[in-house]
Amino acid sequence: MNTQMQDASPNSNPSPKHWSDLLEKVGRSQDEDAFAALHTHFSPLIRGFLQAHGGGMALETSEELVQEVMVKVWLKAHSYDSSKAAASTWIFTLTRNARIDFLRKHARQDAQTDPLTTEDIWDEDDGSQPYIYLHQSRTEKQVAHLLKTLPSEQRQCLQKVYMEGKSHTEIASELELPLGTVKSRVRLGLKRLQATIDVN
Amino acid sequence: MITFHPDENLLAEYAAGSLDWGLSISVKAHLAMCPQCRRQLSKLNMVGAALLNESAPASSDMSANTPSDFDSLMQKIRSLPKQESKGVTEGAKLEDNSELPEIVRKLLPKERIKWRRVSPSLREAQLTTGQDKYEVCLHKISRGAKVAEHDHGGREVTVILQGSFSDEDGTYNVGDFMMREPGQKHRPTAAQNQDCLCLSVVEAPVRLTGVLGKLINPFLSFQPG
Ligand SMILES: [Zn+2]
Repeated sequence: MNTQMQDASPNSNPSPKHWSDLLEKVGRSQDEDAFAALHTHFSPLIRGFLQAHGGGMALETSEELVQEVMVKVWLKAHSYDSSKAAASTWIFTLTRNARIDFLRKHARQDAQTDPLTTEDIWDEDDGSQPYIYLHQSRTEKQVAHLLKTLPSEQRQCLQKVYMEGKSHTEIASELELPLGTVKSRVRLGLKRLQATIDVN
Repeated sequence: MITFHPDENLLAEYAAGSLDWGLSISVKAHLAMCPQCRRQLSKLNMVGAALLNESAPASSDMSANTPSDFDSLMQKIRSLPKQESKGVTEGAKLEDNSELPEIVRKLLPKERIKWRRVSPSLREAQLTTGQDKYEVCLHKISRGAKVAEHDHGGREVTVILQGSFSDEDGTYNVGDFMMREPGQKHRPTAAQNQDCLCLSVVEAPVRLTGVLGKLINPFLSFQPG
């Protein structure tokens, strides 16, 4: 089942639909082969995402989180709906939530008194919108392509927001830039990406 | 109709999970009422997915999963206790809370809401959220009442849950999301026909020292406005 997954060349990667199908299979019948294939493909991506640019997390921490995300994938796969989100989008939200959980547990504040869980605030189904996913696979490819062609300063800011989980204010002080500059770089980058999504 | 939304930067920070817990609660409350922002969020999540898709680890020898990784993953999964079905945790009832966003209902206290009278026409109920950077509360303005002009001295987000109010800048209806920076004074007036209920998320006063601390941060002097 997962023999051809090791190929690193982006052009020979299976389509987004391939991963969505596998994820639905896990959800429907707890298919371990499908889960193994997802694990082979996504674990290194999650690991890389969390360790981004050395500004990310410590090695052991990200290892722990990678496993946590994959456990969530297994447990929540039954609620995954491929007509609403690509597998990668769904797994991104699980990864994001695992990081929020982790940071929260390690913050000084007493999480015991908290009536809310991370999932109460960041529900992975929140942004699910069936109608914009009509051409999900094509859109995902185009967004990925466009991301590579963004001006590097816009790309850098988006990476810091998403992959390092930094607020605009934190990025501004790290890069020694005015807050307004960081905001407009993020906005410009998103605008171009969204234009692509909207066409589809 | 909803006219005021979180700006794109705020929504991006929320989608990325880099937005503060307290502010995220207010964004979530707005999302529950705003299909337009939910649609926007789904696109922002796709950007996250695109970044995930190209996140190969820095060194290639760490990127390979070994078979034992998967074995230990499955072992962990099998050792997990059976999932309990998640009961709906809902707090005390407001007179009419059926329409409130789920996130707000989850924040309501178990017994009854303790309203504090701020002025004859304004009542406030503090909500516990497990963090102290932002004060999260409900505000209830009696119909037709004017609230004294105020400035919280910190960032303030208001999300309208019921009724409507207006101030110098316009009229705000159910679902509207407003963020005011420190120093922006306003004097809201509730609509004549209904009490106005809002969720307020206000930068806690103790944070002011932090803000002052940032004033001597040299980068801040570049900031416009
Ligand atoms: Zn909105």
